[in-house]
Amino acid sequence: MAKALDKLVFDFFRGLPTYTSDMEETVQSIVQSFDAPITKPKGSIITELSPPNKDFWFLCEGYLKEIYKNPFHNQDSLFNFIPPSSIFVNEDSLFYNQRPQHYYKAYTDVRITSFSNERFQELKKKFPAIIKLYLSGTAEIQKNRRSRLLMLRMPNTIDRIEWVQSQREDLYNKMDRVTLAQYIGVSRASLYRAFDKLEE
Amino acid sequence: MSKDKDYEFIQEGLSLHINVGSSDEQDALRQLSRRFTIRTYKEGEELWNLTTSSGQLHFILSGAFAEYLIDARIAHLLRFYPKNRFAYSEDLILYSSKPKTYSKCLVEARVASIPAGTLAEYLMNEQLGSRLLTSLIELSMTEYRNTTYEMLQTSGIHRISAALEQFPDVLDLIPRKELADYLGISRASLFRSLKQIDNG
Repeated sequence: MAKALDKLVFDFFRGLPTYTSDMEETVQSIVQSFDAPITKPKGSIITELSPPNKDFWFLCEGYLKEIYKNPFHNQDSLFNFIPPSSIFVNEDSLFYNQRPQHYYKAYTDVRITSFSNERFQELKKKFPAIIKLYLSGTAEIQKNRRSRLLMLRMPNTIDRIEWVQSQREDLYNKMDRVTLAQYIGVSRASLYRAFDKLEE
Repeated sequence: MSKDKDYEFIQEGLSLHINVGSSDEQDALRQLSRRFTIRTYKEGEELWNLTTSSGQLHFILSGAFAEYLIDARIAHLLRFYPKNRFAYSEDLILYSSKPKTYSKCLVEARVASIPAGTLAEYLMNEQLGSRLLTSLIELSMTEYRNTTYEMLQTSGIHRISAALEQFPDVLDLIPRKELADYLGISRASLFRSLKQIDNG
């Protein structure tokens, strides 16, 4: 991988709460194990994550939409909006060996790179500490889900918008209003009414 | 119910999360289940609270608990723990930080618990340990994902339907006011939606 991208991945792992300097060799081995990045244009579906892919993917540049089949609407809906320097995976395949219920779509042009599950299993034997990084990375995703749930439970749309403005400023500045409405779990009409009130 | 039966339940619960292969692994799991202690919780008693300093992994043998997240000094109902579920403070066990949540008994319960220290010793020394921890965090991720599905529904009736899919007993377990808070809708909207569901 190019040096700038290496640094992004390094910084991600060094930023995890469980990272300690004695894990440096482990992190270096992980970084070296990432494949060359690929570029996907805006609007494309990331087909590389088609089943049965259980690899770990890193979003180097751009933004991704994580989409799921909403059983209450006859259309696919936004589950999450993913910023650069994030890990993303097929949870259903990786955790439960099942067909993925989610897929990823490029919201902007994106650059992504992957770290194969086979390589992860190899490194786990050599560097047992890798499991701490895995758990820590997972815990960070979980923390984000937990705090977003608080926002989704706010009964007032304006409060939800203000939560995204303050807690997820980078995402707020990037998302169009349709995506924002889906991200905060309200209809487009409710979102526009709330913006009208905010502008009053 | 006899204690032996309880330990069998714990072992069964653990084996749902760890694919046990050899008879040695079965034995290891049996030994771990024997290290849990069992007690009864009355309605309103807490499994952990904001001042708890040492984490425990709990397995709910009967009854039900709710977990509340404190944000801006307001308690928000985060999730439920019915029978046959593991419950634990993620802050204490996974993030090594002070709890931001507390868990309260909703329906008189029997709970098997193991201190984090004992669990950590097991996690360090047994191959099964890291698999258990990995499974628990993955399970937690999936729970948050399912709850996010509920909260992404824009109408009250869809939120209730999604919640009922995940927790079929939810209407019997918690008071309507708390349920409205959990679903992020007003009480009036909750009652309207429940009436619509009743009328088919």
